[in-house]
Amino acid sequence: MNDARTLRVAIADDALLLREGIAKVLEGGGIEVVGSVGTGDELLEVVRAGGIDAAVLDIRMPPSYRDEGITALETIRSGGSTIGVLLLSMYATPEYALRVMGAGSGTGYLLKERVSEPQTLVRAVETVASGGSVVDPEVVEQLVKRTRADDPLSRLTERERSVLELMAQGYSNGGIAQTLFLGLKTVETHVRSILQKLDLEESPEHHRRVLAVLTLLGER
Amino acid sequence: MAPGRRGRIVRRTAVITFVVALSLWMEIAGFMATPEAERPEVSYTTLHAIVPLVFAACAGIAWRIGPTRAPPRLMVAFVVLWIPQSIYHVIGGIDWLWPLVRGVDLGWGVIAGVLVMVYPKGFLGDRFDRWIAGIAVVTSIVNLLAVLLLASPQAVACECVVPNPYRIADAPALFALIDIGYRVVGGALALAIAGRLLVRWVRASVPARTVAFLMPLALFAWATTLAAQAVNYAASSTANTVLNTVSLIAMASIPVSFDAGVAHARNMRARVADLMRITREGADRGLWAESLARTLRDASVRVYWWDEERGRYVDAAGTPIDEVDADSRGSHSILPVASPLGTPIALIRHDRVLTDNMRLLDGVSSALRLSVDNGRLRSEIERTLEQVRQSRQRIVEAGDEARRRIERDLHDGAQQHLVSLGMRLRLAANAARGAGEERLATELGDSITMLNQSLKELRELAHGIHPSLLSSGGLALAVPELAGRCPVPVVVDVQAEGRLPELIESTAYFVLAEALANIAKHSAATRAWVRAHIVDGDRLELVVRDNGRGGARLDAGTGMVGISDRVDAVDGTIEVESPPGAGTTLTVHIPLGGPLIEH
Repeated sequence: MNDARTLRVAIADDALLLREGIAKVLEGGGIEVVGSVGTGDELLEVVRAGGIDAAVLDIRMPPSYRDEGITALETIRSGGSTIGVLLLSMYATPEYALRVMGAGSGTGYLLKERVSEPQTLVRAVETVASGGSVVDPEVVEQLVKRTRADDPLSRLTERERSVLELMAQGYSNGGIAQTLFLGLKTVETHVRSILQKLDLEESPEHHRRVLAVLTLLGER
Repeated sequence: MAPGRRGRIVRRTAVITFVVALSLWMEIAGFMATPEAERPEVSYTTLHAIVPLVFAACAGIAWRIGPTRAPPRLMVAFVVLWIPQSIYHVIGGIDWLWPLVRGVDLGWGVIAGVLVMVYPKGFLGDRFDRWIAGIAVVTSIVNLLAVLLLASPQAVACECVVPNPYRIADAPALFALIDIGYRVVGGALALAIAGRLLVRWVRASVPARTVAFLMPLALFAWATTLAAQAVNYAASSTANTVLNTVSLIAMASIPVSFDAGVAHARNMRARVADLMRITREGADRGLWAESLARTLRDASVRVYWWDEERGRYVDAAGTPIDEVDADSRGSHSILPVASPLGTPIALIRHDRVLTDNMRLLDGVSSALRLSVDNGRLRSEIERTLEQVRQSRQRIVEAGDEARRRIERDLHDGAQQHLVSLGMRLRLAANAARGAGEERLATELGDSITMLNQSLKELRELAHGIHPSLLSSGGLALAVPELAGRCPVPVVVDVQAEGRLPELIESTAYFVLAEALANIAKHSAATRAWVRAHIVDGDRLELVVRDNGRGGARLDAGTGMVGISDRVDAVDGTIEVESPPGAGTTLTVHIPLGGPLIEH
């Protein structure tokens, strides 16, 4: 998906070391890092200046060390920008992921420790830059683990569950087929069955599907 | 009504009825038996008959309110001994009876005298009184013996016609001496008692005088007439009707005075009791002065309070008074009241005559001291309690703050460093792979996996210490997340508009966390419900319910204690309903705008 040209990315994290590490990992993956800042406000300036395809930012930054990253994302989206935004976080809390995904397509939520998995990080940046969605597998795991009386997930088969988790992480049908070593047709059948069992509408748009699945999991 | 009490009342009623009947019989039978020419006026006889009736009635009252049982008994004895002279027309012919009656027919005088002396305490108070009583009794016995042994019908000047069977000697001169001497001694004793009472009365306080003036007046009138009669008797002149009438009225007023005085004293005690009640309930200063004036029957009473700050006495309005003004100015005395430790409390300025009634003033100042001490202790306890409350809240706040700080430190420190470490290990692994060190690369890869596992555990730990979601999203986000972690399926209903004060949010969160942990651990429930609502706009209501085995108690298990400690720290209330086998409902109310919450 990045065949046409090199992706240009800006990084925002208050920890300088980590920022540099992330830059190194991304550059190793063939991504050009054009900006590296320490706060959400600074990132907004870089975004406003234009010329970037995606932003990688920490969820917790000065001044309040709460959810500046998400606020920055929401500001970027409300400004009409559709660049990819990948949030990095220490928290596997699904509520944050849901809020991030609620900002629209081209967003992702990854745990910070994924920086030690260069391919995951690079792939996530590429996905959000191209308008796709990424949700950390552990966050999905948290959601699926949640208990609920009359759990609709109990209606799914083991295989369907695995497919659902990948759907929630933002995988396309093709990606799911690849990951689970299944045929594309089989995956499509599973997805249709899942959506039917969970009473979800089949959406042609990839991001809406991810959000719907996440929301369902979160609201169970 | 107790059986003993009922029996007593029946017995006393019977006694009074009997003596009244006896007295009326003596009066009427004597009057009827007297030849018409010799009969006294009917009005005099009526008055004479009324005197014992008054005594009998007063005996009934004295039995109920009297200080001891002596006064009513004396009054009953008086009724029996109030023997009209006319009775000898009836019994004058009964030889065994008339000398006995004649020997005691002045006993009522002794009784009346003793009755006056036992007022108001109900017993003979001092040696002087006992001496007088002793003399009266001894002379009465001498008189009785003289009548029995020496009296002839002619000597006693009554309608006694048959000889005295007890008589052993014929000594008319000796008998006359004793007969007249007895009356003179009686009159003198009566005067002595009256004088003594008068002195006591003059010294007494105004309140005591107001009602008790009847007693010395009655006694004085009676003693005077008695003395006059004694002189008349000695001179063998006929009794003066006016003097006799006055004497009768004076006599009848003695028991009335007695009962009235006792009733007044009781009333006084009741007012002191009122004062004590005010003391107990803690009165304000204005009310104090007012009830003090009422208790002491002294409208001029002023209370000046010690002002700690100014180091001087002030009146109820807080205006300082001059020491000179507080000093006694002739008609008034000052009673200083101090605490047991010697700190001044107040000055009571009262009428000087009240000084005599030290016991009353003692009671009053004790009451005042108690009241002030009570108030002081109460405010001290309240202050201490408030301090404890505040420090407890500070401790909880400090604990929450520490949790937040530890979580932040973990996030920005250890977790961040481990993430960086993982990244560097990955770079190193890549470099190793590039250099053909496949084994080293695999080793490093495994280390990264382990490191990420540790990071995951660390993340869980940090979340348990303080969930960042609570800080950033409040209860509306944090509670569903919390419920989702509970192994028992939980139905969540949070309706807390906007954000609440940090302390309340963290209190609510940790209360719910403890409650859900308890459900998971102990309840064996298959379902739980959590509700967090703002009620009446001023408090947060948390309800945690499960369908488990019940039997949970606030004092059992550390979980519940932790919950109630937290709730107490923010002035909240907690309620557990947990019947065995029917689930547990925990209801917590946390005030939102309480005085303790300063955010």
